Amino acid sequence: MARPDLRIRDPLLAAVLALTVAAAGWAGWGGWSWYTAAHDDAAAYARERDRALAAGEQAVLNLNTLDHRDITRGLDSWADSATGELRDQLVDGREEFERQIQRAKTVSSAKLLSGAVTELDTRAGRASVIIALRITVTAPKGEPARKESRMLGELTRTPGGWKLSALGQAPVGNATAG
Amino acid sequence: MSTTRHLINRRRRQASALRAREGAPATAPGPDAGPESDAGSPKADPDAGNPEAEPDEPVPEEASPPSSPRRHALSVALSLLPALVLGAFAVVAGGESAALGDEPAVRNAALSDVARTSELKGRIAKAVESVFSYDFAAPARLDRAVSEHLTGGAVAAHRRMLAAVREAGPRQKRVLTTTVTHSGVEHVDGERARVLLFADQSSTRTAGEKDGTTHAGAMLAVDAVHDEHGWRITAIDTFGAGS
Repeated sequence: MARPDLRIRDPLLAAVLALTVAAAGWAGWGGWSWYTAAHDDAAAYARERDRALAAGEQAVLNLNTLDHRDITRGLDSWADSATGELRDQLVDGREEFERQIQRAKTVSSAKLLSGAVTELDTRAGRASVIIALRITVTAPKGEPARKESRMLGELTRTPGGWKLSALGQAPVGNATAG
Repeated sequence: MSTTRHLINRRRRQASALRAREGAPATAPGPDAGPESDAGSPKADPDAGNPEAEPDEPVPEEASPPSSPRRHALSVALSLLPALVLGAFAVVAGGESAALGDEPAVRNAALSDVARTSELKGRIAKAVESVFSYDFAAPARLDRAVSEHLTGGAVAAHRRMLAAVREAGPRQKRVLTTTVTHSGVEHVDGERARVLLFADQSSTRTAGEKDGTTHAGAMLAVDAVHDEHGWRITAIDTFGAGS
């Protein structure tokens, strides 16, 4: 009773065993490539670069957007986009700025044209971005004024993500390579 | 206490006993089966006088033939389980690692490939400076720069952008100088790239009504391809501005 049973099972067992070994090899290779892909330093760096760029672009947009009808929320988002010295400046100048905007009754909006990270130090948590913007300022009287803006931003990584620590316009006229 | 299994076994035995007695086909006890078919009645149990039926053996002749191949199939399926689990893991792991490598962020080598990024930035900055610089005394230099650094649609776009400068240049004795002040690689993936540049342009006219030098800031993004000549610009995006 047991012998015919063994004769059937033997090649089957060998096939199953071979299949299992092959599957184990395949799984090992797959797991290894998954692990290396997930722990790839260059990939992690690339992801950090894109995070810094996205945060920088959004922060620069925020800092160029302000509606006098909703000034509290606008200036809150300014403060929230910045850190360090830039944030201190924004917070210190907030009341004065609020008065100015309410007097001028302007609405500013910004459109992102392009942006790139120019420097990234993931260890120090610092990055530099250059961002091309189109800013539209609408005053109560007259046509909306459009202008292109060449922004240079410095970003610092905080527990709440990348935030702007410095922001300025690229100067015109005194060409210095950078 | 008789369990359900005992009950079923007893019913089978009763049925076969009945069949043996009456020569009837073995079926479930029908209404004519008489009082013997009444399950649960110890008095009707024919096991007492039946030597071939052991009370603890659940009729092997009937149970064995259908269950043996089935059990065999089950054991084969079970032995395949580790291979299936490992195979499933391999498929998932392969998919995950491919997805990680195929992520746009990872394929973009801007900054993460330092050498390629700085080579690209240098080449494109030089290209932009030379194709947006003009000297009325040496207009052929611009033509050489165009054929060296531009290709595809960028050639026609550039011709439109500099048409006015080229036309009025000799008369105005015009010198246009473009200096790239900032540049950043937006993305570089294999042979294709996009670079954002900020530049200063100074324009000097030494003849005509309006003498003097003007400065302007410009921003532009260019698409580039890498071929046997190195990086060349295929498209110039001035974001809707003049030049």
